[in-house]
Amino acid sequence: MDILSLLANGFAVALTPQNLMLAFLGCFLGTLMGALPGLGPANGVAILIPIAFSLGLGPTPSLILLTSVYYGAMYGGRISSILLNIPGDEPAMMTCIDGYPMAQQGKAGQALSLSGIASFVGAFFATCGLVMLAPQLVKIALLFGPAEYFVLFTVAFATLGGITSTNQAKSAFAAALGLGIAMIGSDSQTGSQRFTFDHIHLYDGIDFLIAIVGLFALSEVFIFLEHHRSGSVTSSNVPKVTKILPDLKMLKSCIPTITRGTGLGFFAGVLPGAGASLGSFLAYSLEKQTVDRDGKTFGKGDPRGVAAPEAGNNAASGGALVPMLALGVPGSGTTAVLLAVLLQLNITPGPLLFTKNPDVVWGLIAALFIANFMLLAMNIPLVSLFTRVLLVPTRILMPVVAMISFVGIYSITGSTFDVMLMVGFGLAGWLLRKLEVPLVPVILGILLGNQMEVNMRRAMTISDGEWSVFVGSPLAIVLWIIAIAGFVLPMLYGRKVKARMEAASKEEIVKN
Amino acid sequence: MSKLINSKKFGSEQGSIGSFIVSALFIMVGIVTLYDTMSYSDLDSKVFPRAAAIVLILCSSISLIFGLLKPTAEEGFGQGSWWRRLLLVITMLISCFAMPHLGFLGASAIAFIGGLIAAMHGQWTSKKLLLYWGSGALIMIAFYVLFKMVLQVPLP
Repeated sequence: MDILSLLANGFAVALTPQNLMLAFLGCFLGTLMGALPGLGPANGVAILIPIAFSLGLGPTPSLILLTSVYYGAMYGGRISSILLNIPGDEPAMMTCIDGYPMAQQGKAGQALSLSGIASFVGAFFATCGLVMLAPQLVKIALLFGPAEYFVLFTVAFATLGGITSTNQAKSAFAAALGLGIAMIGSDSQTGSQRFTFDHIHLYDGIDFLIAIVGLFALSEVFIFLEHHRSGSVTSSNVPKVTKILPDLKMLKSCIPTITRGTGLGFFAGVLPGAGASLGSFLAYSLEKQTVDRDGKTFGKGDPRGVAAPEAGNNAASGGALVPMLALGVPGSGTTAVLLAVLLQLNITPGPLLFTKNPDVVWGLIAALFIANFMLLAMNIPLVSLFTRVLLVPTRILMPVVAMISFVGIYSITGSTFDVMLMVGFGLAGWLLRKLEVPLVPVILGILLGNQMEVNMRRAMTISDGEWSVFVGSPLAIVLWIIAIAGFVLPMLYGRKVKARMEAASKEEIVKN
Repeated sequence: MSKLINSKKFGSEQGSIGSFIVSALFIMVGIVTLYDTMSYSDLDSKVFPRAAAIVLILCSSISLIFGLLKPTAEEGFGQGSWWRRLLLVITMLISCFAMPHLGFLGASAIAFIGGLIAAMHGQWTSKKLLLYWGSGALIMIAFYVLFKMVLQVPLP
């Protein structure tokens, strides 16, 4: 009952005309971003952060705008998967397997709307799961002391590479790099200047938004522009979207599929190190094992092969918000970017968020419900419009992204030094991505570095300098076990799991 | 030559060399970090950065050693041309430096032109020239008006 009344208050916040308009705008822009091949939700949110701050919005409206972009991008990722066989982002990879054959059979419209419905159901129930699970997790989190928080942050770093990580050393040095960047500036407790090299612009440290926009948005511009993509997408190679609504029989056959995909995806989202990619892979694999053991229909345009991964990855995106909001620890790249938004707005996610800023957190959850309905309503009738975005030449689109980044960072900081720093981060992001060094641990290091250090110092002060404080409680020990398992397991199984995911995707495509 | 560049072996070697360079670079960053911590007067300020630097050096060394012993088939820098990459970065940096002097519109024009030249892989025709440059000018002016006039962002 308490939760329901809090949610009702949240709806009162989210249903104001301004917030509704922002949710609509976020959904629309997010779907456009997600539809572009290669641009995922993390990039989409990163690109639009400067705009949200330029608008001078308060914490709740900014969050509503950006989480709507997140959900929208998750929806949009399926468009290029189905029409072009190019996943909009990694979680949409599995949608290609049956979505593209459906499009080739003249069922592009049906595949798009079915995947839209599956996405809606997945995201809707994941948001319900968020409502139920987050307050329970908060109760556990209230038992955490500084030592447990320090170990929890270690868990976040250890598991962020995910089960599909093939090089944990790279994930670890990326995290250490992020932690080092977070240390730049004056030490908040002692006033020592760290890594400033007497440069006045660095005394206040590096604003993490500059790093995020540079690493995610600008590096994307570099990657897009250096590749020869002209002529790859023309109106002739985008299949025609004719019949939009799926027939009742098709829908009915997909109900159990969507249910299974939603449950599996949600838990994959909540678990550290799993995420939307694994959610969609598990949902697809389970479905194939359940309904098509002989491989007769899957991979040849089976609607259930479209519904399962879409329900799975959208449910995972809702699930990933649980640890981010309740513990302040993001489980994926996009939630790391959303965490940065919260911190920039002077809101510290974690157990106290639910008691200190209930309007923000419940307003946000209510906005997720509203955004989800908007996305369903928007994605079915406007699907032809969203497919048009695939035809926009990247050589026009990417300079626009660069311009948004420039003007956005300048409007936040008013400093050309920071704009240059952003270009530097963009360059670093390009280099790291080329060499397959994950960017998310860098971002997480920048975001959590100071909090991690503060908690370490507090724990050491409480224990009078005794290091054993970090293994001094059962909770801390459990967290260490999770951290070690999360770091070691990908070394043992990461390559196998990734190879299986890629092989499943390739094998089905070759069959066609 | 093009066959060699397109071959998987070249990509793998290039990726390994790239990983080697980046690992070595991060080892150096870690050493500089450790050196910098020596100048802090307070012991409390040293602990965390030193820990991060040690992790950075250790993991970069592991990555470097594994890269040498067991090179993996990484994509490396790919087949994009270096002059395009350099042009992009240089024009963006020039644009940053020029912003206080030329204003937002002038600086954006530099970045846009650089980006467009770098991104243009095909043949320039008068139609393309007019279309891309015209739409570029339109986008820049629209952004300027939106941010400066509507959103009241104090752009230079």
